[in-house]
Amino acid sequence: MGLFDKLAGWLGLKKEVNVLCLGLDNSGKTTIINHLKPSNAQMQDIVPTIGFSIEKFKTSSLSFTVFDMSGQGRYRNLWEHYYKEGQAIIFVIDSADKLRMVVAKEELDTLLNHPDIKHRRIPILFFANKMDVRDALSSVKVSQLLCLDNIKDKPWHICATNALKGEGLPEGVDWLQDQIKTMRT
Amino acid sequence: MSESGSDGGKWLDAHYDPVAGLYTFSSCVDLADLSGDGESRLVVGDLGCGSYSMKLKVYRGTVLMSESTLLDLPAGLVAFFMDLHEPRIPAVAVASGPCIYVYKNLRPYFKFTLPGLEVNTLEQDVWQQVKEGQIDPLTLKEMLEGIRKKANIPLSVRSTRFLSLETSDMDAFVQLHNQQPIRRQTVITCIGTLKKSTADEDGVSCLVIGTESCDVYVLDPEAFIILSKMLLPAAPITMDVTGQFDVEFRITVACRNGNIYVLRRESDKPKYCIELSSHPVGLVRVGKNVVVGCTDESLQGFTQKGKKLWRIILPAPVITMAAMDLPTRGFQGVLVGLANCEVQLYRDKNLLSTFKTPNVVTSICFGRYGREDGTLIMTTKGGGLMMKILKRTAVFDDRDSAPGPPLAQSVRLNVPKKTKLYVDQTLRERENGLTMHRAFQMDLSRLRLATAKAYVKALESSLTPMSSSLSEPIKMNAVVQGLGPSFKLTLNIQNTAACRPIMNLAISFLYDESLYRMRNPYMRIPLLVPGLIYPVETFVECTSDKGISDIIKVFILHEGQSSPLLTAHINMPVSEGLMLS
Repeated sequence: MGLFDKLAGWLGLKKEVNVLCLGLDNSGKTTIINHLKPSNAQMQDIVPTIGFSIEKFKTSSLSFTVFDMSGQGRYRNLWEHYYKEGQAIIFVIDSADKLRMVVAKEELDTLLNHPDIKHRRIPILFFANKMDVRDALSSVKVSQLLCLDNIKDKPWHICATNALKGEGLPEGVDWLQDQIKTMRT
Repeated sequence: MSESGSDGGKWLDAHYDPVAGLYTFSSCVDLADLSGDGESRLVVGDLGCGSYSMKLKVYRGTVLMSESTLLDLPAGLVAFFMDLHEPRIPAVAVASGPCIYVYKNLRPYFKFTLPGLEVNTLEQDVWQQVKEGQIDPLTLKEMLEGIRKKANIPLSVRSTRFLSLETSDMDAFVQLHNQQPIRRQTVITCIGTLKKSTADEDGVSCLVIGTESCDVYVLDPEAFIILSKMLLPAAPITMDVTGQFDVEFRITVACRNGNIYVLRRESDKPKYCIELSSHPVGLVRVGKNVVVGCTDESLQGFTQKGKKLWRIILPAPVITMAAMDLPTRGFQGVLVGLANCEVQLYRDKNLLSTFKTPNVVTSICFGRYGREDGTLIMTTKGGGLMMKILKRTAVFDDRDSAPGPPLAQSVRLNVPKKTKLYVDQTLRERENGLTMHRAFQMDLSRLRLATAKAYVKALESSLTPMSSSLSEPIKMNAVVQGLGPSFKLTLNIQNTAACRPIMNLAISFLYDESLYRMRNPYMRIPLLVPGLIYPVETFVECTSDKGISDIIKVFILHEGQSSPLLTAHINMPVSEGLMLS
């Protein structure tokens, strides 16, 4: 970390990072982002996102700007227009929706093969969400179904989460923060 | 799982369970949001294997959510909104035998039984006498057989069953049944839904049922009374319903006599009739047209008034058909399950996509399942369940993937606008057409005359390289080799007669002696055996260095005659080298 960054850290100015939050509809993207926001800014009711929404939250050393994209089929073609700006990606998966795991895999493959993403070494954080649901798949099984082992040129990490209670979220965000720091230095 | 094959990867294989134990047909499969949470469930009337284990099964995602036993084999299953209560949860109607069982929240809610048919009075009297003990079972059998032969109203199920019994079982059967009155029941063959007054997605729907007794009933969804009754000339097998009961509706029914009838509001008789060349297997409405799959391995398109639009031949017999309607993308097509383990997608008569399945598909259902709009659900002959999801990026191009005329044929040419000159010419041609035609004919005749004259002249002077004489048919061609000034001249002479050899021929050359010098301008030809090619070679030297060339004339002569048998003109090439003298 450079001298200026340290200085900025002492002064309380934090580095801004743009993060894209992607995933199928009803996977829990907005709920996860909502949980990461400071408690006084959290919403009570989560409704399906239309288009996208921009949310901000801070961690110990970074200030995140999250593009919370809508996961509905008709809005998914909007994702690629934000790939350039994103410095990290959060990909949320509904672990209880076995049927649509192929759809999630298809969207992930499209994402990874996009020219704006393909040759950049940006960190991808996977949230295997809805772990509280009875028939949910484990994070290992999810990573198998999505063939995450095939991602060789980007750092990635998968955590099992329950966004309703916030379980597993801090672990993922810590990993993302470390990755972004190592990327910058 | 990876059966994408030739469909260009348009479908994602979401789920395949080869041992799901689902034995059903397209008419007994429906998709509906049964819990009102925005996730559609799959409702299946499972025919089971044999005459037991008929079940109503509900799937959520990849798992079986609930199952309840059905009393009889299901003939059809539909999900429909029967009331306006909130939350909007559809009911499920299962048609089996003469009854419709209505389930709400997956619990039995109501049973509707079709009205009984008219009973033969003679038959009734006979059974009455049996009840009173006036006649014994054997007499009963004789009398019933007599009634069966004569009467125009068929016997009830009880009587026909009785007639099929052995003599020993008759007493017990009569004892068991003689207390109940005779009834004659029909059975339901197909079921559909018809919106009552609004075209909304969640509007209240009437049930439309077709019966074995050739009737079509429209039932009120709340009171379950018969709103309308229509009569068909034959028993229906499958139907499609569109419109609203209170406004205007259209029921398209494929019947067992190989005809398709169209029923309309305010008429209890069919309005239109389509006579097919073979029996229908499936019927699907696409927009305003009807697509019918027939037993002669064909797929046919008709307008709703019964005009035939097209007919295509399929590679295998049709097993099942379903509509593929994707309103978000404005796509409408027909899915056809074939006996060769293929499912084909057609838009009009164009084959858009084909994919292979591991087993013969017996039921197809396309629609919103779970949260995914384009889900294709199929069950196979072996009881397998297969789910595919249409890719978001899948594009079905209008081009026909079946072999046919190339695409370029239908591309419109960029024809330039008509110029003034063109218009003037056209006008002139229109006015003077007759004169122009005459002038053309005159010129054509002249041309023909000139050609004929030249030909006769050539024949007379034997200028051709083919001999016209019948006694000495000879063919010749000449080859000039070399760059100059020295050329090699080869004349290939052939006797084309069938068996007669030709003798006493000679070759003579005529040329400009100031330009060329020839080693031997007169040669004798040996005897020509028929068929063989005789090369006669000679050398020509060009004596000029001015770079000019001339013609050398070759004559083949018969010894003792002055007129040549044939003549050839050889255009000599320009000499490229200087003569070394």
